[in-house]
Amino acid sequence: MRPGTVMASWQAVALAVALAAGTCGAAGTSDAGTSDAGTSNAGTGATGAASGGMDANGQLQDAALQTRYERITHALRCLVCQNESIADSNVDLAGDLRRQVREMLIAHESDDAIFKFMTDRYGEFVRFAPPLEPKTLLIWGAPFIMMLLGSFIVVRIARQRAHMPIDE
Amino acid sequence: MMWKFLLPFAAFLGLVVLFAFGLNPKRDIHELPSPLIGKPAPEFALTDVLEPARIVSNAALKGQVYVVNVWGTWCVECRVEHPTLLAISQQHIVPIIGIDWSIDHGTGERDKATRWLEQLGNPYSSVAFDQDGRTIINWGVYAAPETYLVDRSGRVIYKFISPLTMEVWNQEFLPRIAAAQRSGA
Repeated sequence: MRPGTVMASWQAVALAVALAAGTCGAAGTSDAGTSDAGTSNAGTGATGAASGGMDANGQLQDAALQTRYERITHALRCLVCQNESIADSNVDLAGDLRRQVREMLIAHESDDAIFKFMTDRYGEFVRFAPPLEPKTLLIWGAPFIMMLLGSFIVVRIARQRAHMPIDE
Repeated sequence: MMWKFLLPFAAFLGLVVLFAFGLNPKRDIHELPSPLIGKPAPEFALTDVLEPARIVSNAALKGQVYVVNVWGTWCVECRVEHPTLLAISQQHIVPIIGIDWSIDHGTGERDKATRWLEQLGNPYSSVAFDQDGRTIINWGVYAAPETYLVDRSGRVIYKFISPLTMEVWNQEFLPRIAAAQRSGA
């Protein structure tokens, strides 16, 4: 075995790991992004169709408030089912949390105040998208770090190959 | 150049450590750390399940160590837990305040809870009736039964999710209660 081939193989392993991790990280953040988008998710199947809890009390009078209501309830995790938002879940607790959001919106509370109310009681986990702050920098930065690492390795391999004779 | 041969092994060891944490069967990923630990217990003043004219408030308990147990008659695991609560109440170590969670906001829960306590026995020093589910939100409850321990200064010092067992009571609660009762009011 020539040293060249061995180096290429460990680099390939590192590249694969970096790419895999990068993809997972990217998928995670894009996931959080969609839950934040505030579109009613019809794709959740039986639960989504049966929930209707969103509008159990009718739409909010103010269209702007209704938009915020939908965005916020989609960004909050239902802690009973944990992979559904409180907007999509028809668990009783989710209904109570939607009522809380609705009341706070009507009382002119800010989005931050509503999220703080929830995280004070249920912890950061209640939010699908972690807020961008020092302790979450690694989560948000991981895809970019992986991407940089991957490109660095690709470039190194490419440079090495460039020096290799085409035909051995 | 030899160190490069060690890199895959280093990566492998890294993964082993990661998996040892991540796949630990003792770690329940659905159990969330309560942000309430170390914070003042949320106050409540609700009517008593058994005597609707009476108000149950935890403000009255300030200065003593007490346990708060959230349950409901719709909760199967609470029935599993009930004999343990009865045994604990027989020890007369701390008052156990019950919060009866009416999950559908109906008053029917009160009647069912009354029957439950008459038939199975009452381990609680008093049971608050949370009909509209606001108190349980303030306590960060998401799955009954949940049991909290509050110290003399009114701070939540421990939370346990899922049915209590004597083992949990002896290992997790009793030492904390002893320590909390030793420390001054």
